[in-house]
Amino acid sequence: MKDARIEMMDREYWRSLDQLADTPEFRRFVEQEFPESLPELDNPISRRKFLSVMGASMALAGLAGCRKPVEKIIPYVSQPEEVIPGVPSYYATTMPFGASAFGLIVECHEGRPTKIEGNPQHPSTLGRSNVFMQAEMLNLYDPDRSDGILHNNVKTGWDAFVTFWREQLMHFRQNDGNGLAILTQEFSSPTLFRLGRKFRRNFGSAGFAVYDPVEDIYLPDGKSDGQTAGYRADYHYDKAKIILSLDADFLLTESENVVAARRFAAGRRIKDVDSPMSRLYVVEPELTATGAMADHRLRVPRSMIGTFAAAVVKEMERLRINTGLSDLVGLSGDHQFDNTFVSVLVEDLIQHKGECLIVTGRTQPGLQELAAVLNKALGNSGKTVTYNRVESTASSLQQHDDESLEGIVKSVQAGTLKTLVILGGNPIYDCPASNDLADAIESAGHVIYFGSHVNETAQAAEWHIPSAHFLESWGDTRAVDGTLGLIQPMIQPLFGGKSDIEFLGLIATGEDRRGYDIVRETWSDILKGGDFEKKWRRVLHDGMLSQDRKSTAEYKPKIEKDNRQILAKALATIPTKLSSEDIELTFQVSPKLYDGRYANNGWMQELPHPTSKLTWDNAACMSQTTARSLGVQNSDVIKITNDHGEMELPVWIVPGQADYTISVELGYGRTAAGRVGSGIGANAFKLRPDRQSSFARGAKVTKTGRRHKPASTQDHGAMAGRPIVREADLDTYREDPDFAKEMVEHAPLIGIYPPYDYSKGYQWGMAIDLTACVGCNACTTACQSENNIPVVGRSRVLNGREMHWIRVDRYFTGDPDDPDMVFMPVPCQQCENAPCETVCPVAATVHDKEGLNVMTYNRCIGTRYCSNNCPYKVRRFNFFNYTSHMPDVVRMAMNPDVTVRCRGVMEKCSYCIQRINRAKINAKKENRTVRDGEIVTACQQACPAEAIVFGNINDPESKVSKIKALKRNYALLAEYNLRPRNSYLARIRNPHPKLKGHKLTHG
Amino acid sequence: MAQIFPEWTNKLQTYAAVVVVVLFMAVIGFFWYYGSPKFTDVGYRPEQPVPYSHKLHAGDLGLDCRYCHSTVEFSPVANVPPTQTCMNCHKLILPQSEKLLLVRESWAAKTPIQWVRVHMLPQYAYFNHSIHLWAGVGCVTCHGNVRRMEEVTQMQPLSMGWCLDCHRNPGPNLRPHEELTNMEWTPPDDQAEFAERVIREKKINPPVDCSGCHR
Repeated sequence: MKDARIEMMDREYWRSLDQLADTPEFRRFVEQEFPESLPELDNPISRRKFLSVMGASMALAGLAGCRKPVEKIIPYVSQPEEVIPGVPSYYATTMPFGASAFGLIVECHEGRPTKIEGNPQHPSTLGRSNVFMQAEMLNLYDPDRSDGILHNNVKTGWDAFVTFWREQLMHFRQNDGNGLAILTQEFSSPTLFRLGRKFRRNFGSAGFAVYDPVEDIYLPDGKSDGQTAGYRADYHYDKAKIILSLDADFLLTESENVVAARRFAAGRRIKDVDSPMSRLYVVEPELTATGAMADHRLRVPRSMIGTFAAAVVKEMERLRINTGLSDLVGLSGDHQFDNTFVSVLVEDLIQHKGECLIVTGRTQPGLQELAAVLNKALGNSGKTVTYNRVESTASSLQQHDDESLEGIVKSVQAGTLKTLVILGGNPIYDCPASNDLADAIESAGHVIYFGSHVNETAQAAEWHIPSAHFLESWGDTRAVDGTLGLIQPMIQPLFGGKSDIEFLGLIATGEDRRGYDIVRETWSDILKGGDFEKKWRRVLHDGMLSQDRKSTAEYKPKIEKDNRQILAKALATIPTKLSSEDIELTFQVSPKLYDGRYANNGWMQELPHPTSKLTWDNAACMSQTTARSLGVQNSDVIKITNDHGEMELPVWIVPGQADYTISVELGYGRTAAGRVGSGIGANAFKLRPDRQSSFARGAKVTKTGRRHKPASTQDHGAMAGRPIVREADLDTYREDPDFAKEMVEHAPLIGIYPPYDYSKGYQWGMAIDLTACVGCNACTTACQSENNIPVVGRSRVLNGREMHWIRVDRYFTGDPDDPDMVFMPVPCQQCENAPCETVCPVAATVHDKEGLNVMTYNRCIGTRYCSNNCPYKVRRFNFFNYTSHMPDVVRMAMNPDVTVRCRGVMEKCSYCIQRINRAKINAKKENRTVRDGEIVTACQQACPAEAIVFGNINDPESKVSKIKALKRNYALLAEYNLRPRNSYLARIRNPHPKLKGHKLTHG
Repeated sequence: MAQIFPEWTNKLQTYAAVVVVVLFMAVIGFFWYYGSPKFTDVGYRPEQPVPYSHKLHAGDLGLDCRYCHSTVEFSPVANVPPTQTCMNCHKLILPQSEKLLLVRESWAAKTPIQWVRVHMLPQYAYFNHSIHLWAGVGCVTCHGNVRRMEEVTQMQPLSMGWCLDCHRNPGPNLRPHEELTNMEWTPPDDQAEFAERVIREKKINPPVDCSGCHR
């Protein structure tokens, strides 16, 4: 037992290869927490400018100081009944996201939405959220959203467009829509479906194509003609004991990731030594959040995932599991993967028949069917995987095979397409290399683009109609499991946009109607029978139509005809080996910008990528081996060329990447995103062969000789050499459950100050479960939204000045080419013996009775002593006035319950003191104490894995007390007698005994 | 060698020291008095766009404060009434009054009246009206006797020290719930007993930590 513990203690954790090698650069960064050189001041021109600005603001300050500022109170003219100034209202709505929909509860202050949370009743969020949902708050107030209808880039009015379109319709009514086409992104709205069908009926010969750069995969219906729906797999990670992910980042970038994270964490969260725990095998080319959670991970280039699947099938057949695929893979012959890994994996799956799970994702469209076949063969269908029959946009509205992006490009080139309506998306930016819409579109007659920004597509279009944000419009959605939801506006369109249903309504019928009427017309059909008005109000209140949904359709995968070909293709062995001359490029759906739609969102740009920790840039991510063989180092700019195009990107070495593959995030390289997102990174879509491909082989790399340092936060706030993250495998934990607490031996903890009595009243504390945390960053973004945290920009992130109050650290351990990864969210630890407090010369940071280390901004004089003395590096300093130049519309996103900080002030996590105070006051007014669970911090509320728990540690019955009583609970740096209120539950891994210590090889 | 300075200069140092000390005290005293909210803020009486008289409405006519400031018991903010509240009465009462011109304009044009804030707390201080009323702190305690004011004037310094005086010893400022808006109420002889009972029953424990008001 002792040996296991010693081994754990000897395990080395590192954040970057620089740290592992202990390079001078790394040491310099760590030792100098606040690098003093101000590049702005070194530059004489900007120095002069700085001084002149300073002079001006001093003069103003002098004048303003003489007189009390006059403040105005502006009441309503007639106050809306339900608005109480100072008390937020909460409304339910849903957020459309491709074929999915997220149920939301939106906090509004006097009619101004300020915070988004998940709707606890809605099946796609269950009250939790992800970064994209949080980011929509800033998207709503994006000052770069287009504010008017453009005709040939000249502003005009909605009436002008209506007149133009009615003329067009006159023409198309006569020829049945010949030469007219709609290009749309995937949607789930019943109203849009209804309008789409109306369009089809009115214009029989018109085209209707769906193009999404990040597509959701449907399993075919079986009725290939007149197909109206497909199946989508619903994976129950909580019920599975063994999970195999074939290149599916289901915890972060796949659709339905919020529910996936919650279910996955539920199957892993062990309370006691005898709690069961699932085991996750991941096979993937790039280290993703899901890969970080894996107990066993094999890095395999994306092109060879199918080959790996074939090896699994072969092994299953060998062990007499009838997959029905034996003739496709052949039974003899070896495979090129690690034999032990494959045989242990398959054995594990077979031993857990009916309670295992094979998952694939968007990156492997060809393997969807295979996963269904294998899950059926393993008896998982209906148990760990169920299927939902859903109407997909493409299958229900496209009628001909040539109704696609490819078809549209062809018919424009052929001159048969006269009028093209583009409904949302940004196809000119994100179309794959093979279908260059940008070139084609120039020869089209009329191009009408409906979207939120004057982006790449809008610039090329003849007409641009601004779209309203979903928080500004009426609409409806359908979640993947079929739950219908309503979208209700929280605010009038800020930039005068039209909602998608209003626009499509006009396009399809020529009628210019209000969105509200259009939605109600759809729902009068859905809510048939009984009192419509009553039912409608119910749905509006809940945000969704609550129905009993029994788990749904049964999907029987067939291995015949078309399917057979698809399966055969997917399972085919890829013979050629990759090398530095033949690089495989993998396209990664960005966990920050998605497909580029969040490019103009400062929160998303500054969010550190879960693995690379890059902000404000995408990079060519590769393994150390690849970099060595290419002769490049971090920050070297390389040119990547393939048959379709070329792009230049800085190198970023990421451990865990498959050798000779380069992974590039999509969504960057926007040219017309707006003031935040334009000109950042390179556009990988231009090298993407076709719409579904997630990789491209045969890329060549050449050095440019230039350097560009991407802003990575991986070394920021490093806590050199101390046992920060603590983990063990399940067996060790079972034998030695107290391992985490006892990992550090220290002298008795005696303070120099007399201890304070914290035994009375509320005592706030938090526990973070490292076994559950999937590193998705939802906490960081939610905190940014709740606490008015500024965005600082690339150059300041390079200086280590990012402002996030809760950061997600990630540590590597093991082989530098193929390490394990651990996430660790670090907010202020709220030490009872806080070292920051004793060094503050002005008592700006002090303790309160409830154990909080509080920060009083108006006292702070900015010495930064506190931050220097903080061992956790969680204090953030406002080096500049980040909010003073903010456009007014962005200020509307600010939470009025939290002070906006100015220059020269230190700030840090407050455990959401505004929420604590609100709950305390509400409880007081009802003459009771605060109930457990009444206060939910922003990070806790966002966390899809329920890894963060907050509450009163003085109450032994509170959830947080019970969690802190678990054996794997430990405090960070407890040996310094800081007595932090935050504690962590040690990470437990569940490796297969036969694979423990086994060094993986791959083909 | 002859002395350069005459003898009386020996005492100059003492005089100078006294003068410096006095001056120093004077400067401190000056800022202590003239820089404190007691001097700078008390008595602040800005001109309002509408010559609304609290004395007439709340005093002579006896309207309850909460007729207009209706959210004071439910919200951190005691709302300034919407134009509609004015028009409820003034559609019928003095509908042609010149003083009410701005109110009628606001109602007709649907543009709000811009009142000038009198009681101004810094933006980093989060005061909650509802909890103070719940505890039994009356309007008059902070706002003065508004019923006698023609124009609203700040009567208390509203400084942090002044807030803390009461947070440390809330007893003298507590009153029965039904007397909250009564500006003429005076504490009875048994105030101390009453306060003790209320503090015990309602578990009144006002925060004196920074986190109580600053976020």
